[in-house]
Amino acid sequence: MTKAHTILIVDDEAHILQVLSLKLRNCGYSITTAVDGEDALYQVKTCLPDLIITDVQMPYMNGLEFAHELSKDSKTAHIPVVVLTARGHTLETSDTDIPNVRKVLSKPFSPRGIAELCEQLLANVPIRASEKRDAA
Amino acid sequence: MFTDPISILLFTVTLLLAAMSIIVALKLKARESAAVVAMQIAKQDAEEACYALDSAKIHACIDRTHRRQVESVFNVLRDAVIVIDAHGEVLHVNEIASGLLNVSIESATGKPITEVVVDHQLASTISDARSGLPKEGRQYEQEIKNDEETVAYEVHLQSVGHQDEAMHAVVTVLRDLSREREIARLKSDFVSKASHELRTPLSSISAYIEMLVDGDAQNEETRQEFYGVITTETQRLQRMINNLLNISQIEAGLMHIDRIRVDFQELVERAVTNMKPQAQEKNLEIHSQIAEVDLSIVGDGDMLYQVIVNLLSNAIKYTPEGGRITVAADTDNLTRSLHFSVSDTGLGIAPDQTDKVFDKFYRVENYRHVAQGTGLGLNLCRHIVETLHSGQIGLESTLGMGSKFWFSIPSERGQRKAA
Repeated sequence: MTKAHTILIVDDEAHILQVLSLKLRNCGYSITTAVDGEDALYQVKTCLPDLIITDVQMPYMNGLEFAHELSKDSKTAHIPVVVLTARGHTLETSDTDIPNVRKVLSKPFSPRGIAELCEQLLANVPIRASEKRDAA
Repeated sequence: MFTDPISILLFTVTLLLAAMSIIVALKLKARESAAVVAMQIAKQDAEEACYALDSAKIHACIDRTHRRQVESVFNVLRDAVIVIDAHGEVLHVNEIASGLLNVSIESATGKPITEVVVDHQLASTISDARSGLPKEGRQYEQEIKNDEETVAYEVHLQSVGHQDEAMHAVVTVLRDLSREREIARLKSDFVSKASHELRTPLSSISAYIEMLVDGDAQNEETRQEFYGVITTETQRLQRMINNLLNISQIEAGLMHIDRIRVDFQELVERAVTNMKPQAQEKNLEIHSQIAEVDLSIVGDGDMLYQVIVNLLSNAIKYTPEGGRITVAADTDNLTRSLHFSVSDTGLGIAPDQTDKVFDKFYRVENYRHVAQGTGLGLNLCRHIVETLHSGQIGLESTLGMGSKFWFSIPSERGQRKAA
């Protein structure tokens, strides 16, 4: 399996960004980060990641609004999104019923579990984004 | 003596006449007596009739008084009360019910319940209750729509008198559940927010420990960094739990505070001395403007120290490097209170957020990237100042131009006694 996929991690908690970035870099992925939904939208346009991991509760634009924005754009609708939430049971199924949201994980989460999930979700994904980036 | 027949006849006739006179006299006497008796009876009847009339008036009066009393009692109740008789006609509605049903008490009385209650489900439930209810009555919840909104009610139906008796009635009490629902919503909201805020540091602690266990920290420097994160996040979790417990104790009126004369100047100087190393790390200057007056107040020194430290700590956290923080304390002779403030040259807070910063778990949007907080510090400050010391806390700020957090506490008088 190739490990050159790019993963965008979005969270306003610096420690979460740091720990996930390190774990996934150690697994061989290329990592970019953003601190809120607006920042993340800009990052998606510039780097077109293969997978996105985003927190739900963030200022300006929350993780679900961000995922919804991506699903409306044909260039980004295919990118799988993993949502992390500390809201637990208060998050309704209808809230996360967005086509590109593949998995909703509750905090506290396991970095090891996230790495395994990334491997599963990217197993059949060609490194399209990187090629596009290179071509651009 | 009477020898001749004529004398005998005359004597006999005289006797007969005398007897007849006696009989007539006796009869007349008897008639007279009967008339008297009749008159007496008639008089008695008349008296009884008068009495009955008075009694009826009195009873009617008692009934009216009693009814007014019952109505007054019903009107005192905060719940809506509807009473119907065995025929399904309204006997009483109180003022709350009158408002709820949008009908006057006078016009509702005597009307069939189905004409008074617009909500079909409620009207038929009340009407059906006449044919029998359990001894303990019936209770259920129902939403009732009026002109403007839909309100949830607890409906309680109870029979009065036996079902076969003429006095049989059904009492319906409708209790508005809006306030209880709102309290339940606020509680749920609070638990949800508290859970979110507690999970965030817990996530970091758990993730960094797992990284250490899995050997993801590949050198000693990274490991030390991880230990540092675990320590600070554990402290943050501890602060949150302490703040939550303190706030809930104050809100429940269970917080006992020491109310003694406190040298406020000493509290400020101690706080500034203790916070100086943190300020120096960011190259921030702390200026003290302490008035040379008696700054002693009656209160809890430890609690007030915590407020000063919290305000100072926020100013240090949210002021960019090289900034300036001013701590000021003075008395106001007009209001006989002590006034304290912490001003900074930091990020400032937008006007739409200044009212919310003292709310539980409220975090100013552009502050989250700058520093971590519990979202409870300012709420605790407000409780300590306002609930425990009868003071006032506030904020003046201009976005991008810095903030000034202040509080004032009555110097001696007017302080509410803590529970």
